[in-house]
Amino acid sequence: MIGLISYLAFFATMAGILAIVVLGLNLQWGYTGLFNGGVVAFFGAGAYGTMILGGRPEPGQFGGFEWPFLFALAGGVLLAGAIAWIVGILTLRLRHDYLAIATFGVAVAFESIARNAEWLTGGAKGLRGFPRPLEAAIGNTFVYGLCFLAMVMAVLAAVYWALQRLVQSPYGRALRAIREDEVAARSLGKNPTRLRLQSFVIGSMIMGVAGGLYVAFYAFVSPQDLAPILTFQVWAMLIVGGAGNNRGAVLGAFLIWGAWTGSGFALSKFAPAAMQLYTGPIQYILIGTVIVVMLLWRPQGLLPERITQRFTKTASKVGTTSKGAF
Amino acid sequence: MTRKIMSFSAAAALAVMANAAAAQDCSVKVGIVLPTSIDWGKPIAETALWVADMVNEAGGVDGCKVESILRDDQNDAKVGVDAAKALVDLDKVQLLIGAVGSGVTIPILTSVTVPAGVMQISCCSSSTRLTDLAAEGALKGLWFRTFATSQVQASVAAMVAKEAGYKKVTILYKNDDWGQDLGKLAADAFASAGIEVATSIAITDAQPSYRAEVTEAIGTAPEAVYLALYPKEGISVVREWLSLGGTTKMIGANSLKSDEFRDAVGMQYLAEFIGTDTSSPRTDSATGFVAAYEAKFGTAPTGPGLPNSFDATAISLLAYHAAGRDATGAEIAAKVPMVTDPTGTPVTADVAGIKQAMALLSEGKSVSWQGGTGAVAFDQFGDVSAPAVSWGFGEAGIDEKRYFTLEEVGAFITSMQ
Repeated sequence: MIGLISYLAFFATMAGILAIVVLGLNLQWGYTGLFNGGVVAFFGAGAYGTMILGGRPEPGQFGGFEWPFLFALAGGVLLAGAIAWIVGILTLRLRHDYLAIATFGVAVAFESIARNAEWLTGGAKGLRGFPRPLEAAIGNTFVYGLCFLAMVMAVLAAVYWALQRLVQSPYGRALRAIREDEVAARSLGKNPTRLRLQSFVIGSMIMGVAGGLYVAFYAFVSPQDLAPILTFQVWAMLIVGGAGNNRGAVLGAFLIWGAWTGSGFALSKFAPAAMQLYTGPIQYILIGTVIVVMLLWRPQGLLPERITQRFTKTASKVGTTSKGAF
Repeated sequence: MTRKIMSFSAAAALAVMANAAAAQDCSVKVGIVLPTSIDWGKPIAETALWVADMVNEAGGVDGCKVESILRDDQNDAKVGVDAAKALVDLDKVQLLIGAVGSGVTIPILTSVTVPAGVMQISCCSSSTRLTDLAAEGALKGLWFRTFATSQVQASVAAMVAKEAGYKKVTILYKNDDWGQDLGKLAADAFASAGIEVATSIAITDAQPSYRAEVTEAIGTAPEAVYLALYPKEGISVVREWLSLGGTTKMIGANSLKSDEFRDAVGMQYLAEFIGTDTSSPRTDSATGFVAAYEAKFGTAPTGPGLPNSFDATAISLLAYHAAGRDATGAEIAAKVPMVTDPTGTPVTADVAGIKQAMALLSEGKSVSWQGGTGAVAFDQFGDVSAPAVSWGFGEAGIDEKRYFTLEEVGAFITSMQ
């Protein structure tokens, strides 16, 4: 029983961390329409930033400043934000698929730097972790697992709450206006360039938070954590859950991560012994099928975007619909 | 009184029967986390499952059937760690075999197996980070791998330099993870062999000229130069090195073992060149593994990591047997030296050998596992060594100069630590 709880706590911790990334992407794509194809770069910036600031010193290695975890995490988040700001200034004039390609390139470049700048990032060896926050004080690994889960859930709840406030405010409506029709938004006196940049930076910093939690949880980071598959997983979560709906984003993260790991577990349990070797490819097929079926059956996601009552009323007063000219 | 004795003996008989039944029905669960969905990962997993079958044929771990639970890690840290956590928490495995990528293996160690006290052994993770972690004591002796690191080549380079009587060496290394790693290890190895390292210089790919780097290297006036380079940049570097009057006393890594390099540099300059390489062991067991693999799968074991996977699985299962069916991870890990004891009875890598090893281990005697990678022996950090060769360029191609046995290499590495 304790084993089951321990595993479920572990699963929920990782799903919670991924849900934070999906929330960050939801602000960018779901609300502002920015196609970020380089999720992993901002996640990685948070991860490496936290590790460099909070890690233990090593000979011949930059970093290892042993900052307390929360400060290291804040540093990682700021790093993710700074990279997003620079990338944003350079690329946010690009639209849709062009922006996706540019940000994907940023992710590849980031991975390449992490692999090669050995003095900074440990190169292919990666960086080994710092003692997990409060682990020594708590002692018991089972209790610690639950405490870590509580921390991740608290961060997830805080991010969710803050984003809900943000997107329901006039600011959120401005973001959606830009998503729907940038020219119209500009004609109403909004500054799309600035708003897009802000949304991109805030979303990327949220991804950075997740990266920092991830390295604290695993006590290790290497370029292997920056593989493009993470970007794909996060996008799948957002699309299945429902872009433009924060609850959908969180639901999608738990569902997809559950399907991803649960399919492997179920196959190892129930597939016949002779099939054991083939469960890996079968798992890929199952995951792919789920995503394709979702796209065909419910392209708007399980919990589609809902325009709030207040917004609709206000909108009807000024004689336009939320979807604008489209 | 008689009735009492009768009932006592009946109870005893029942207990014995129950025990015997348990011995037949019991099973030990062993977790395997490998990238089975990747082309080169599947044969590694196949080999591990094959060894588990052989152990079952030989009677199982402490009389219990080995139930191997294979999970795919997709070479993704998140997926591998989750699979490992499920195996440890839900299936209560005490022994985990995996993974391949160091970026998957290390988070499994740091966040799953070491906190839970489960033993982990890998066939193929190559990162020196693992040695660092073990040296820090972060792995609590629960970690082993049957993959020899770049340490072997670095050590052999220092050994041949010492034999040749060089006193001062400059290192030129390729600026990637392999070169960085080998360059650093070689510097340590030279230093501990009493050879001065004048300087270490990084050589970045695809530069039109390496004059700056080479001039700097020659400026240190080394007696010999160590080249951890690939042929492409190796050719340009060595040509400039010789044209600026650098010494022809060169030591090179296995990457330079190419005709292209020999022809482009010219034989007249390569008479004093010494190369190093790891070697597959020249023992009957290693050739035996190849034959057994061919008999089982119908192809030669040419993929990466197959003999390593074979040995990792066999050694850990034998240690499990020695520790007993109810052993914890730490207890299994503590028995590994009994399976790889150089002074123990040599046992062969087949069902008969496994049977023999199990019988000896049950009696408390140690054995020396003669596996696919030879007579494996772990150091205190869970690393293994490998035999090596030195070689040179000849008119006809590449000539082997000397074979360094596992013991020679191991002795040098131990002397460094």
